[in-house]
Amino acid sequence: MEESEESLIRRCQAGNTDAFGSLVKMYAGRAIGAAAVLLGGHDDAMDASQDAFVRAWRGMRGFRGTASFYTWYSSILRNVCLSRLRRRKEQQGEEGMAERLAASGDGDPSVLVERDEQSKRLWAAILRLPVHHREIIFMSHFQQMSYKQMAELLDVPIGTVMSRLHNARKALRKALAED
Amino acid sequence: MSCEEFEPMITGFLDGELTAEQRQRFQAHLEGCPSCKAQLAELRELKESLAMMKFKEPTDAELERYWSGIYNRLERGLGWILLSIGAIIVLCYGAFRLIEGVIKDPNVALVLKIGVVALVFGVVILFVSLLRERLAVRGVDRYSKEIER
Repeated sequence: MEESEESLIRRCQAGNTDAFGSLVKMYAGRAIGAAAVLLGGHDDAMDASQDAFVRAWRGMRGFRGTASFYTWYSSILRNVCLSRLRRRKEQQGEEGMAERLAASGDGDPSVLVERDEQSKRLWAAILRLPVHHREIIFMSHFQQMSYKQMAELLDVPIGTVMSRLHNARKALRKALAED
Repeated sequence: MSCEEFEPMITGFLDGELTAEQRQRFQAHLEGCPSCKAQLAELRELKESLAMMKFKEPTDAELERYWSGIYNRLERGLGWILLSIGAIIVLCYGAFRLIEGVIKDPNVALVLKIGVVALVFGVVILFVSLLRERLAVRGVDRYSKEIER
């Protein structure tokens, strides 16, 4: 019988790395995909999501279980990705970042998303969006966060979340139409 | 309210995030606004496509490699913690013996002894101040909190 998440978390908090391994394997696919939405590339997404799991392990004793493990983990992941993006921006500037992504071919959709045409087109369009649009799409669609949760995390009113998400979706629709 | 002001509500309406009063006003506007109606249909389609987009699930072998990458980092992290603790103990002991030697040595000038004592107090004050700041920031760090579902 498969062990429940609560039980795995309790064992992790007691220092059991095998239980943590099971949690990691449960969410690895989602975590890599979500990180790739923000970072753009598969290799960076692998590395950042692993880094976030290491941080989650270190903070495991402080996890109270008021949110699901993945919700908690994904806010750590978001912070890891955003600080990597900040570092990249400092080192390469906005244009350098875009060029690097385009030249690396690292954003190849076949590595990350299922092979259907629609997923590939969407993926390519997401990668063309600026980071602030990708961030809100990441939170809404890949973390399934409510407006209230996003507003708390971003420290903005719910109305701002709604307009940011609306602008991001409009930008995504435009990017798809230009495809 | 102008059409532009209603526009973000399309997204809120789609996500079921409008208040009852907002929903009522938006639906009344929608009845007479073909532009908002068209946008609602387009964004609904986009939302459905995003929901259908699936990330590939890693194979068992990929998952094992992924996990062993994390495990190695955890192990290395423990190594670094032990190394740091050891280095701090050795350095503190060395510094203590050195300072003790200087203070107790009758041949060392009083000015130098006062300088060494001031140096030690300075380091302690800086350390305590930094520690206090870190603890205060930790208490209000909005990224470390759990968001309730």
